[in-house]
Amino acid sequence: MATETSTTADRRGIVERLRASPFLSELLSNRLAIIGLSIILGMVLLGVYARLFLDLGAISQSQLAAHPNKAPPGWLGSAALDQFLFGTDAAARDIFKRVLYGAWLALKFGVLVVGASTVLGISLGIIAAYYGDVVDNVVMRTMDVFLAFPSLLLALALVAIFGAGLSKVVIALTLVYTPRFARVVRGAALKVLEDEYIDATVALGARDPRVLVRHVLPNCLAPITVQSTLNFGLAIIDLAALSFLGFGAQAGTPSWGLMLKNGVSNGLLTGDWWLSFFPGLFLAVTVLGFNLLGDGMRDALDPRMRETVE
Amino acid sequence: MVSKRFIAKRLLLLVPVLFGVATVVFAILHLAPGDPARVILGQRAPTQQVVQLRRELGLNDPIWVQYGRFLADTAQLDFGQSYQIAKGSPVWDVLADRLPVTIELAIYGQITAILLGIPLGVLSAVKQDSLTDHVTRIGALTGISVPIFWSGPLVLLVFATFLGWLPTSGRIGSTFFLEDHWVLFGTQLPLTGMVSIDTFILDTGAFVQSILYGEGLGAFASLTEYYASFISAVQHLLLPVLTLGIYSMALLSRMMRSSMLEVIRQDYIRTARAKGQGERITILKHGLRNALIPVITVIGIQFGTLLGGAVLTETVFGIGGIGQLLVAAIGATDYPLVQGTVLVFALLFTLVNLGVDVTYSYLDPRIQQ
Repeated sequence: MATETSTTADRRGIVERLRASPFLSELLSNRLAIIGLSIILGMVLLGVYARLFLDLGAISQSQLAAHPNKAPPGWLGSAALDQFLFGTDAAARDIFKRVLYGAWLALKFGVLVVGASTVLGISLGIIAAYYGDVVDNVVMRTMDVFLAFPSLLLALALVAIFGAGLSKVVIALTLVYTPRFARVVRGAALKVLEDEYIDATVALGARDPRVLVRHVLPNCLAPITVQSTLNFGLAIIDLAALSFLGFGAQAGTPSWGLMLKNGVSNGLLTGDWWLSFFPGLFLAVTVLGFNLLGDGMRDALDPRMRETVE
Repeated sequence: MVSKRFIAKRLLLLVPVLFGVATVVFAILHLAPGDPARVILGQRAPTQQVVQLRRELGLNDPIWVQYGRFLADTAQLDFGQSYQIAKGSPVWDVLADRLPVTIELAIYGQITAILLGIPLGVLSAVKQDSLTDHVTRIGALTGISVPIFWSGPLVLLVFATFLGWLPTSGRIGSTFFLEDHWVLFGTQLPLTGMVSIDTFILDTGAFVQSILYGEGLGAFASLTEYYASFISAVQHLLLPVLTLGIYSMALLSRMMRSSMLEVIRQDYIRTARAKGQGERITILKHGLRNALIPVITVIGIQFGTLLGGAVLTETVFGIGGIGQLLVAAIGATDYPLVQGTVLVFALLFTLVNLGVDVTYSYLDPRIQQ
């Protein structure tokens, strides 16, 4: 896609270049994708704000002595409007601050999982496609074994091996997501490898690593980006799910999954809905953002969709 | 027709996958930190006992001997004995008890998803770019973005805690006793372990008996009393099934929409329309039948999501299936139970996908080449 226009495009300004790319102009005219992108950027801002200005120690520890516990959101009752926007939890901690910090944790660990599995998946996928035969078979059959497990269950099995904790959950989920990337990348790379310019590069004497990194990889980037975006949403859900089941974030950590777990055990029967409502809302909205953007990107890439999708 | 060769080939391809799955499951016990013998006996057990148990469990044998033994045992569905949760009882017995609970949940969830997802997807595609389409699409996108462990607590809060219409957890009301067999003409017959089916059988048995030997047709007047345990079971299932089903429904309706959109642009649809065939028949007979084919594959793939969802649903709604069992087993480092559960989940998923592949090749014979 980029190769034929790159020489002329280099001389143009960034705006023209954006317009010249059918993918980007398509994406930017997709209203839902723009909404998705805005949600993600908004969450990034909130997360970074929380990371910079909120005291992690204070929002992790119980505040029972200083605050009322399980106080409903301020705007519902007696408390001043600015106090406890989302109420407090069973340990009297401010849910609003914890939810904001949760955005930072979700994005940070999401980036780790998706980043690591993208890099691993790209390497395995391209190697399998390029070397073919035995290498391809060994790599892809191994991936098949991992894909034979429902993803959350494989993650749970790996957690049984590695133990609980956010960093271990990141390793487990990286292993769960790598095969998906490997499969997509392999497919895309096989298609690229059929092109004549690859033969030309090889004929000119380029070595394997150069062919793979300079020529095959850049031409597989589009499907990889779509896959990363869509999987980002899934990764955030799985991260939260493992914390919800008690294997991810440890007690006190303001992770959305753990807050939901606490909400279920402390607020369900007593009707303290705000304990579960707000962490889940932020989680769902963030995931929705990634799904909207990923969907838009996929539509923009698929020429068949262009005629009809707004 | 599905050729026998295709099925044989597909079964043959299963062998390396199952072999790999078993290897991963074997690794769970051997890569996990801690000495299994210590886990069983507890931290304060005397070393001598631990050493003896290690010998009994065969943990001193070379790893490849243990691996071979594991494969042989697994092939016979012998997963060893539970360490903690059901101390001493065979893992397979524990699983056999809990498996129907999860399968029941998954099947009803899948049915809900199919019954709602497919019509919505078709509607969305047929009325492309209309208001209905936009609402359905955004609804479906929202549906796959809402995790079960949020939607579950929310529906519980609304329908159980605030409105009090439905129970908060469990499989059946506390006044009912879950039987494991029923009696027909004096013989004991096993039950399925699926609470909705079992209670229906038992309640119907009591009801029919009453008609024949007791109240006679007057029994119809107190129908709800005779079916009280069945009604309770359905009430308990309603929220978990909806929570699980709606997530899968969203996935399915998206797939159905895009598949249908592709099909209705085909020439044969135009031909059908051109020859004056009614829109309804064109869409349902020519369109839907062809558009369903790829969606069937998706049903198989998302069955994995459904099984993962079952773990979360069981945790939220306090249903004791193998999902909840797995979570408990990991927490208690009950490795044989973890191994057994994971293996059963992977097996279920693989078998469903095998079924899907065979169905697919039946619907679209081209795939066999």
